[in-house]
Amino acid sequence: MTALPTLLLFAVALLAGCQNAGVGGLMISLPGPAGQALRAAAGVAPAVPGAFTDIDEPEEIELGRAVSANLGSRYPLLRDRALTRYVTLVGNVVAAESERPDVRYRFAVLDTPEVNAFAAPGGFIFVTRGALAAMRDEATLAGVLAHEVAHVALRHGIDDVKAEKRKQLAVVAVQQGLAQTRVRAFSNLIASAADVVAEQVVLKGYSRADESAADRAGIAYAGRVGYDPAGLRDFLQTLGQRSAQDASMARFFATHPPTGDRLSEVTPLVQAQAGGVRNPERFAAAVRGGR
Amino acid sequence: MTRRLLPLVALLVLAASVAGAQASRWVERTKADVRAGRGSYFDVVDTVLKGEQVEIVKSEARWLSVRTPRAKVGWIFETALAAQPVTGGTSDFLKLAPGDASTSATAASAGAKGLYAEDYARARGFDYGVVSWIEETQVTAEEMERFVADGRLRGAGGAR
Repeated sequence: MTALPTLLLFAVALLAGCQNAGVGGLMISLPGPAGQALRAAAGVAPAVPGAFTDIDEPEEIELGRAVSANLGSRYPLLRDRALTRYVTLVGNVVAAESERPDVRYRFAVLDTPEVNAFAAPGGFIFVTRGALAAMRDEATLAGVLAHEVAHVALRHGIDDVKAEKRKQLAVVAVQQGLAQTRVRAFSNLIASAADVVAEQVVLKGYSRADESAADRAGIAYAGRVGYDPAGLRDFLQTLGQRSAQDASMARFFATHPPTGDRLSEVTPLVQAQAGGVRNPERFAAAVRGGR
Repeated sequence: MTRRLLPLVALLVLAASVAGAQASRWVERTKADVRAGRGSYFDVVDTVLKGEQVEIVKSEARWLSVRTPRAKVGWIFETALAAQPVTGGTSDFLKLAPGDASTSATAASAGAKGLYAEDYARARGFDYGVVSWIEETQVTAEEMERFVADGRLRGAGGAR
């Protein structure tokens, strides 16, 4: 007897990925007698009125905050206000040319020798101290930040968050009934999706197709604002010369497509838009104190 | 004479009507900021909610200068607006204000403070101060314009 709610919960969770998104809401539709029995037993109506399966911007920003807190537990934040402001200025310049220039992008530096950069939903962008050390000028930083901005602007990874939201809505509808569904589902969504997204951006990385799209878009953003679009290519070339056994590179190589493949794709794009500024002195002053 | 003018008058009325319709847009997002310039780092002059109607003042590079229902004028990115009327309503998130699930303004305020993410961080034992520190690090439109000019770059909003 006590197993019934658990079974129902499990069944709905399994079916959550198969539900229909009706006009303006999520439909939990289980066909036939099984569905009727489930709804009757669980005491839920077949739909969650007003619950949208899409992830809108306020939700995305809140999720980004949670993911950022998660990232901050994995890497210490470098609380250098002047350096962070410089990175924010460069990042905002390229973000203004993205598909979503109205997102309030936030930039931060992680205090680790690991070479990497991350993008969290809602416009939270991170670059590591190790990555900054591997760069030689502002155009390189702009290229790397533009790549990360592109992940946000192109909404990479949001489909996974939507799937998580559908699951949470379905599960909570059965657990607690419609009255509390949206409240509890959103709370659960933040917790589960933040864990999933943080793991994706840090440990798994985006798909190869998303990485290629972010490379192409990032080069375009940087070129349009007047940076030498070769910045990202130069960064990849630097990393390509490093050994796979280099501990500071392990996570980067594990979460990105092969550097040689990326270079083959981006080099023709860079050659097509030659020119632009590199600003090595300003970069050196901000990142290395002029060294 | 009057008869001959009738089609012309009708045409003018129709043209005025079409022009009027073109000058309006409706907010398609649950919530969108209207800013003092064409960029996310400009100050917010008003916040519009889904379904609200705004009047187009001018447009430039996919940004629209609009007059909001509260008579504020500022810039909003074109993807936040629809050409046809949109039914109002808030997102799941904006309905989830602690203590008052029906007031979107209260919920928006709760969201702006990151209360849900803060709860998550507390439950996991993470330091939410990291997020607060990041959000406190802001640059102004003036800094952006100076940075762009000093770096011999292009764009970055402007045209307030």
